[in-house]
Amino acid sequence: MKKLRLYYEEYNKKPYQLLWRHFMPQHFAMFGLIILCVLLTIALVSPFMNPHDPYLQNSELLLVPPSWQGNGLVSYPFGTDDLGRDLMSRLMLGASYSFGLAILAVLGAMLVGILLGALAGMTRGVQSSIFNHLLDLALTIPSLLLAIVIVAVLGPGLLNTIWAIMLAMLPQFIHGVGNAIQQQLKQDYVVAYRLDGANNWQILWSVVLPNLWEPVSLLFTMALSTAILDIAALGFLGLGAQAPTPEWGSMIADALDSIYLAPWTVALPGLLIFITVLSINLVGDGLHKAMKKRRES
Amino acid sequence: MILRYLARRLFLLGFVFVALTVFVFSLNYLFPGDLVSNLTGLRNITPEQHQTLQTSLGLDQSLWQQYIEYNRRLLDGNWGLSFASQQPVLQEIGRVLPATLELASYALCLSLLAGIPLGLLAAVRKDSWLDKFISGMALVGYSLPVFWLALICIMLFSLQLGWLPTSGRLGVLFEVPTQTGFIFADILLATEIDRMAAAQSAFLHLLLPTLILASYPTNVMIRFVRHSMLDVLEQNYIKTARAKGLSRPQVLYRHGLRNALLPVTRQVGLQFSTLITLAMLTEVIFSWPGIGQWLIDSIYQRNYPSIQAGLLVVSSLVICVNMLTEILHTLFNPLARKF
Repeated sequence: MKKLRLYYEEYNKKPYQLLWRHFMPQHFAMFGLIILCVLLTIALVSPFMNPHDPYLQNSELLLVPPSWQGNGLVSYPFGTDDLGRDLMSRLMLGASYSFGLAILAVLGAMLVGILLGALAGMTRGVQSSIFNHLLDLALTIPSLLLAIVIVAVLGPGLLNTIWAIMLAMLPQFIHGVGNAIQQQLKQDYVVAYRLDGANNWQILWSVVLPNLWEPVSLLFTMALSTAILDIAALGFLGLGAQAPTPEWGSMIADALDSIYLAPWTVALPGLLIFITVLSINLVGDGLHKAMKKRRES
Repeated sequence: MILRYLARRLFLLGFVFVALTVFVFSLNYLFPGDLVSNLTGLRNITPEQHQTLQTSLGLDQSLWQQYIEYNRRLLDGNWGLSFASQQPVLQEIGRVLPATLELASYALCLSLLAGIPLGLLAAVRKDSWLDKFISGMALVGYSLPVFWLALICIMLFSLQLGWLPTSGRLGVLFEVPTQTGFIFADILLATEIDRMAAAQSAFLHLLLPTLILASYPTNVMIRFVRHSMLDVLEQNYIKTARAKGLSRPQVLYRHGLRNALLPVTRQVGLQFSTLITLAMLTEVIFSWPGIGQWLIDSIYQRNYPSIQAGLLVVSSLVICVNMLTEILHTLFNPLARKF
C-alpha cells in the first residue's frame, strides 16, 4: 500500500540508493557482482575449510578426469592433478591467493595512493610539477615490467610479488586521485566553501574527499583486474608464487607438462582467472554506467 | 610557439632520462652480489683485478662521481658483460630487440586496423545487436589472460589441427643469416635459399603470436574508439551539422570521425607499454627470440647486468614512443595546445 501523503514534501533518495537503483537493472553487472561475492566468500572460507587437503598427494588417484567425464569420480568434481591432489580444493584455496591477495594489494595501493594523490592534487607550482613528472615516468614503465624488476631485486616469492604489484599500482592511483582532486577544486561549491573562509585542509577533508569515492571506486575495479592478471602472469613465469602454492597462474605453469594427458588441469585455472577478471570488468562497467545515469537524472 | 613547446618536451624527456638512469644505477647497489661484478658483468674476479677495476670504475670516488662515470660508460656503449654468456650486453640486445619490435609493430598495426573500424561501427549503431555483440566480445577479450589464451590456441591450432607451428620464428630447414634482425628483410637479403618457401614459413610462425598479442590492444582500442565516438556524437557541433542539412554519412565522416580519432594517437602511445609487457609473455610461450624472453631468462639466471640493460632499453623505447605520440597529438589537435 502506498503511504498516504497529506503534504507536498520533496523527497530525495540518498546517493548510494540512487546508484543502486541504476546499477540493479543491468543484469550482466549484477551477475558479475554475484560471482564476485561468491568468490570473495570462497576466498575467505577456503583457508579453513576444503573438501580435501589441497596439498595432500594421493598416488592412487593421479590425473583423475573431472566428474562430468565417464571415468571421473563424484568426490573429485574437477579431477586431480599429476600428483593426485584434488583440483577443486586447490582452485578454492587459489581464490584466496589470486583474488584475495590481489584485493589486499590494491587496497593497500589505494590507501597510499589517496594519501599521496591528495598531496599531489593540493600542491601547485614547482613542487607539483616535479612530482607529476616523476609520476609520468613511473606510469610509462609497464606495471608488469616494474613488478618483474622489483621481484628481481627482492627474489621470487608470493609475498614479494604482492609488494611489487602494490608498488607498480601506486602511480596510477596517485595520478587518478590527483586529477580527480584537481577537477573537484574547480567546482563552484568548493569556491563557495573557500569564500566561507575554509582552509585547504578543511576543503580537502569535508568537501573533496567525500566526492572522491566515485572515481576511486572506478580506479579500484580497473586496478583489481590488472592486479589479478599480473599476479597470475608472474606466477605463470615462475617469479611469483612457488611450486606447491595453489595460485592460479602457477598452477597453469605446473600443469603444462601434462597438458596432453590432462587438458583440464590447464583449462580450469585459466577459466577461473578469466571469469574473475570478466566479472570485475562487468561490475566496473556497470558502476560507470550507473554513475553516469545518476549524474544525468 | 611550437618551438617552445618542443623545447619544453625535450627538457622533460631529458629529465625523465636522468631519473631513469638514476634508478637503473641504484639497482647496482640494490641487487645482491658484488658491486664490481654487477657493474662490469665479470665473474671470478681476482683480488688484484678487483682493485684495478674499482679505480677504473671510479668506485673510490663519491656517489655523484660514480653516477657520472656510469653515464659516460653508457654513452660509450660499454654496458658490461652478460653473466650468462660473457658477451657484451649491448650486442646481445641488438640481436634480440628487432624480433620484439617486429612482433609488437605487427600486433599494433593489426589492433589499429581491426579496432578502429569495429569501435566506430559499434558507436554508430549504438544499442543495436551489432553494438552489443562487438562490445560484449571486446569485454570478453579484454578479460582473457593472454598466456592462457596462447596456450589454448596452441592446443587447438598447433596440436589438434596441426595448421600452425608452435614456436620459433622460422622453420629449422631454412638457414637465414642474421643481417638486420628483421626476419622478412633477412629472407630478402639471403641468397642461397628458396625465398618464397622461407617467407611462407616465417609468416606461419608469425601468425599465431601476432594474433594473440594483438587481442588485448584490439579490444582496448574498440572500447576506447567507441567511447570517444559516442562522446563526440553528443557534442553541439554535431547537432549543428545535422541542422544545417548534412546527411548522416557526411556528418559522421566530416565532423564525427575526425574528432573522434584525435585521441587515438595518444592512446597508441599509452597502449605501447602494455603491448611490450604482453609481448614479453607471448615471447616466453612461443619461444620467440626477443628481448622479453631474454629478459625473463636473465631473471632466472640472476643475470644482473642484463636485467639492468633490458630495463633501460625497454623503458627508453616506451618513453620515446610515448613522447612522440604526445607531440603528434598536440600537432594534430589544436585544442590540446597549451603553449
